Amino acid sequence: MPLNRIVVVGAGVMGQGIAEAIATTGTDVILLDRTAKLAERGIDRIAENIDHEIEKWGLTLSDKKAILSRIAPSTDLQVAKLADLIIEAIPEKLRQKRELFQRLDDLCPEETVFITNTSTLSITELASVTNREDRVIGMHFLNPVPKIPVIEIVRGLKTSDKTYNIAREFADQLGKTPVQVYEYPGYVTTRVIMPLLNEAMHVLMEGVATAEDIDTAMKLGFGFTVGPLAMADMMGLDVVMSQMENLLEELSEHKYNPCPLLRKMVRAGYLGVKTGQGFFKYDKEGNRIKGETPFVKRERG
Amino acid sequence: MNILVINCGSSSVKYQFFDMNKKTAVAKGLVDRIGMSGAVLTHRPAGRDEVKVSGEILDHIIAVKYVISILVSENHGVIKDISEIHAVGHRVVHGGERFTSSVLITDEVMKELRSLIDLAPLHNPHNITGIKACMANLPGVPQVGVFDTAFHHKMPPMAYIYGLPYIMYKKYSIRRYGFHGTSHSYVSERCAEIMGKPREQLRIITCHLGNGASIAAVKNGISVDTSMGFTPLEGLLMGTRTGDLDPAVILHIMGREELTLHEANTLMNKHSGLIGISGISSDMREIESNAAKGLGNAKLALDIYCYRLRKYIGAYSAAMGGLDAIVFTGGVGENSATVRKMTCDELKYLGVELDEEVNAATRAKETDISSRNSSVKTYVIPTNEELVIARDTKEIVEKLSNK
Repeated sequence: MPLNRIVVVGAGVMGQGIAEAIATTGTDVILLDRTAKLAERGIDRIAENIDHEIEKWGLTLSDKKAILSRIAPSTDLQVAKLADLIIEAIPEKLRQKRELFQRLDDLCPEETVFITNTSTLSITELASVTNREDRVIGMHFLNPVPKIPVIEIVRGLKTSDKTYNIAREFADQLGKTPVQVYEYPGYVTTRVIMPLLNEAMHVLMEGVATAEDIDTAMKLGFGFTVGPLAMADMMGLDVVMSQMENLLEELSEHKYNPCPLLRKMVRAGYLGVKTGQGFFKYDKEGNRIKGETPFVKRERG
Repeated sequence: MNILVINCGSSSVKYQFFDMNKKTAVAKGLVDRIGMSGAVLTHRPAGRDEVKVSGEILDHIIAVKYVISILVSENHGVIKDISEIHAVGHRVVHGGERFTSSVLITDEVMKELRSLIDLAPLHNPHNITGIKACMANLPGVPQVGVFDTAFHHKMPPMAYIYGLPYIMYKKYSIRRYGFHGTSHSYVSERCAEIMGKPREQLRIITCHLGNGASIAAVKNGISVDTSMGFTPLEGLLMGTRTGDLDPAVILHIMGREELTLHEANTLMNKHSGLIGISGISSDMREIESNAAKGLGNAKLALDIYCYRLRKYIGAYSAAMGGLDAIVFTGGVGENSATVRKMTCDELKYLGVELDEEVNAATRAKETDISSRNSSVKTYVIPTNEELVIARDTKEIVEKLSNK
């Protein structure tokens, strides 16, 4: 049975991507946020993202119309009552997410499955505030959601097989490949990629090679489509740092210490693509501008 | 027996409802511009006024729902209850090597159809969607798939094997399949009937020119070559598809523009052809009117379209060792006198000569448009894939009830 009634809570970057991916595969979706302005801005961003895809030949104008027609903005949490699935994509704050799950738990019928998109918080802990601990599961979508073909399906300690199978079916419906992950800090993707990015920053900081050359070596040497420093810029250096700190806190191992250069750049407000400057420079559209940042040159001495 | 025939295109659902006892369509219609503004269902019950229903028809599922509800509607319908729909025949674009003739749709068949999606990404998903939508709305009603590829399955290997390592054919079934087979088969059969000769003694070139376009060499009743290949992308220039292209070009573009497989696929299938060259439209009517006004690259797009068609006619005449007749069909082939004229103008050496007045006046009507001196006959024959599908469906469903 296809999952037809889907509500995405949180119209930020992840919520937008998830809603777009759902609508692209032909299913209606409600994109919910606290204010009408936020929800509508989310839809505007989706439209911009689709325009970008059209420019890159990936979609057509009629695709755009069909996709947008399937996404409805809302500010009323009551719509969750009728949903088959609820996907939570609000900010990574434990208190906010707990509150949301409590409210949803009161509102929704017993069988409704709750999905959280958290990449750092404990599914088991989020589930514990509800009366449906077996029907809460994590689905870790990666950004940009419409383009990344993998989803980590994260089982909390009490998540049932039935719930897991619903999540798998949903991943199939979205045309994405699921991997099964048992709850543990960083799952697979974050746990493996973050230390790699951090190590590339150490290599830069120690003056072993330029940022450009580090990325080229990793791209050509190991078939990465994006080098580690450019990837960190795309993710946002503040995000990378908080992910590292989270791994450090949860797992208490020295190897998860954020690189001092990363700390310094975050303090300087050089957060990557979104601020126009990270390890590389970017224009307003987020396209790479030639030349390295003077900041990094100084760092190399 | 009443049979609903469904033909899901990339942005349309054509349907005809046949009373097979009378062997006629008692209603036909079209849901057009699916997913675009101005989507409309046009329903034509035989002998009554045409009805148009417009709405937000965003996908094929909704389109099929509209079709079924108008068939049983009190004012415009042709039946009282959906139980009077005894079988559904579907046009399915790609049958691969597995389906060489029409087939009753079972779970097993659906599975095999899904495995063929990669081969026809622009069409098979819509066909499957149509089948699913009918299954949901008409549970228990037998459904039959009639394949675009089936008519071409007798092509000789020299026509269907590509110049790739042979292992690619063995491993991935990569070969020419050809499409629009039901149409090529129907119009070549009609052509022979009009000429009063058995199809088994004729060399006919059939040009199916719609939104997608293909051409077939039908020798002695068998399709011996056709322009579409492994997918419906190869061959003639089309509304939004490239047709023939040096395969290295797409690899080059993918590198230069850093395109993913999906983006490259969409570039070739949806952003190319008439619309890609002209920058104006994928619709031949708009291309012609803009070409006449000298706007954009419309004239260039039109020239390329007809030039490539003419080259194929030359090639297929050579392939068959001569030519007895050319047939134009499909939306463009049936309606565009300009395309027919521009295509045939340089073909006098083959014995092709049009009667210009007759050609100019012919639209969507079975007509001999060749001049008296022409040794090769040229016809406009409106295609009727739906009738072929209805016949096949009836035959299969009858066998089923005799078991």
